Amino acid sequence: MSAVEERRAATGRLVRRPGPAESRPRAAHRRRRALELTLAVAVPVVLVLLWQLAADRQWIDPRIYPAPSTILADGKERALDGELWPDVRATLQRVAAGYGIGTGAGFLLGLLMGALPLVRAALEPTMDALYVVPKLALLPVFLNMFGLGEGPQIALVAVTVFFFVWISTMAAVLAVPEGHRDAGRVFGAGPWQMFRHVLLPASLPAMLVGARIAAGVAVLVIVASESIAASDGLGHLIFDSRALFRNDVMFVGIVCVAVLGVVFSELVRLAGRLLTPWAPRDRGRGRT
Amino acid sequence: MPVPRPAPRHRPAALALAVCLLLLAACTSQKPEPLTRKPRTIEPVAGCGARSWTDPARLGENRAPARCAKGAPAPRRLKRPRHLTLATSTLTAEYVAPLQLAIKKGEFAKEGLDVELKVLPTPDALPLLAKGKLDALWAAPEAAVINGIHGGFGIRWVAGNFSPAPSSRSGLWIRLRDGERPDTVRPAGRSVGTLIGKGSVISYPLEKVLAEHGAAMETMDFQQLGSSDVLTALTSGGVEAAWLLDPVWRQVRGDKRYAFLGGQPVGEPLGGALFGPNLLSADVDAGVALLRAYIRTINTWFAGDYKRDRGFVAELAALLGQDAKTLAAVPSLRMDWEIRKGTAGRLQRAYRDAGVTDGAILPERRLVDRRLYAEAVGHRP
Repeated sequence: MSAVEERRAATGRLVRRPGPAESRPRAAHRRRRALELTLAVAVPVVLVLLWQLAADRQWIDPRIYPAPSTILADGKERALDGELWPDVRATLQRVAAGYGIGTGAGFLLGLLMGALPLVRAALEPTMDALYVVPKLALLPVFLNMFGLGEGPQIALVAVTVFFFVWISTMAAVLAVPEGHRDAGRVFGAGPWQMFRHVLLPASLPAMLVGARIAAGVAVLVIVASESIAASDGLGHLIFDSRALFRNDVMFVGIVCVAVLGVVFSELVRLAGRLLTPWAPRDRGRGRT
Repeated sequence: MPVPRPAPRHRPAALALAVCLLLLAACTSQKPEPLTRKPRTIEPVAGCGARSWTDPARLGENRAPARCAKGAPAPRRLKRPRHLTLATSTLTAEYVAPLQLAIKKGEFAKEGLDVELKVLPTPDALPLLAKGKLDALWAAPEAAVINGIHGGFGIRWVAGNFSPAPSSRSGLWIRLRDGERPDTVRPAGRSVGTLIGKGSVISYPLEKVLAEHGAAMETMDFQQLGSSDVLTALTSGGVEAAWLLDPVWRQVRGDKRYAFLGGQPVGEPLGGALFGPNLLSADVDAGVALLRAYIRTINTWFAGDYKRDRGFVAELAALLGQDAKTLAAVPSLRMDWEIRKGTAGRLQRAYRDAGVTDGAILPERRLVDRRLYAEAVGHRP
């Protein structure tokens, strides 16, 4: 799609002629989008078909790797019987609660530490030390603190999410160009106005990137956590089915987690677009 | 100068396809071999008389486990040495001690067997066992095994492991509420902490104990917890009842706030050796030799109350990586290589009631094979 470059032997000069992207930009863009969409759909479809074929032809052992049709049928049956939804609901509730708490706390502390050097000096070494602690290792601590209910699961998600959002927010505030602050001061902005009109708009896009990464990690963590200390949820479903050698049910859980992760991440991305219309988009019209 | 050719457009797709095919090749299955076996000659074995076999239908704590004389059955070295890989989910549990000791004392080597132990959870070991990549699994006919056999895996339970001593209090403990007495407690509706899930063989005694106290599995709220968390949850009030294993139950023994409701049936082993196609049909000689060495180890070192010998306890503790005092604090297990009639059915009914297995209850012959240990002790059916 790009321009065609040609080196003329006689002169040694590099000649650049316009390619389709330059000469027919709309048509080229449409073709490009169509190709991207086709690839996005075709690759997973081909992989699933290949998986189905492999299971049908016994190239792989369908007792260990059930065919997609088996997983789909089992998932449908469990969904219609109502067996699947309590696990989906339990995981969703834990993720939503933990994510909300972690994002809020991370954002607030990130803003504070980014904006106030003394707070940063006081807390950064401690936070850095806590950041590197494997969060799953904190589960027994949370079990002791909150008992056997929802508390440990929500706390684990919240703590995990917190660090991603805290770091990205603090870094974003620190990266706000001094010129922006100067401009605010020139216009006589007070602390609240400086925050509302300079720091927040400048840091929100980067904070939302951290929140999006945290959305995926929240799902990862809750699945691991539910496998250890929960009597419901998708993580419990996956690992319980694995322990019982019910691989079809296990794969239903895995597919549900994948769908949940994608939907959750996309929701955060969508929220980011709505909240920060000024920020550059990370998906959409690609460069040709 | 010619214009350089652009890279082929289909190269990424071809690469992706090649990766997929490689992955598929890596996952390629082997169908389990049918478990066919030529008729085998069973000869009497010196040192293994009438006491070396008990009627499988006999249950109860009055049944003495089968025993041969010390050092019997004598080794019969295989003509060709074999390397066998055995999986077990733990190397520190007391019921694995006969295996560990047999390796240490060279009992397997005397049979011409080079036995390697691998630590592997049962669900992970099952496909390997069925495909012949593992020779045996030292575990139990858990729900995962039943589901695997339902799916067509050629696996059989070929030897028992132990039953608890009558004085053991490993089992279901309950925290008594105000005014409750141990003999009148009704556990229905209470939360139960357990290290093991509903797919464990413990489901069977748990269901039995609950039924004796007017409760059922579905009336309980189960919390699966880590080994160190079960006792903490019970004592802190996080759960109202818990299945406590050796030696954890000692922490609440004698405390009037807790009551022991029951444990694993005495005289009925619920676990042991599971063989796959390798030892069930392809190389039965090696399978019999493995069990012969195991049985000889029991007869030589674990025939009775083996913990009376403090030196032996110290040796076991070192072998299992346990504290000798902790090991000595709980009664000796009744090591038992036999499998009781009906245990497989009772386990399956418990799994079915717990909703962790699918399909009809398998007949015992689809799950249990007593012929190998019968041959090892020279018992003719």
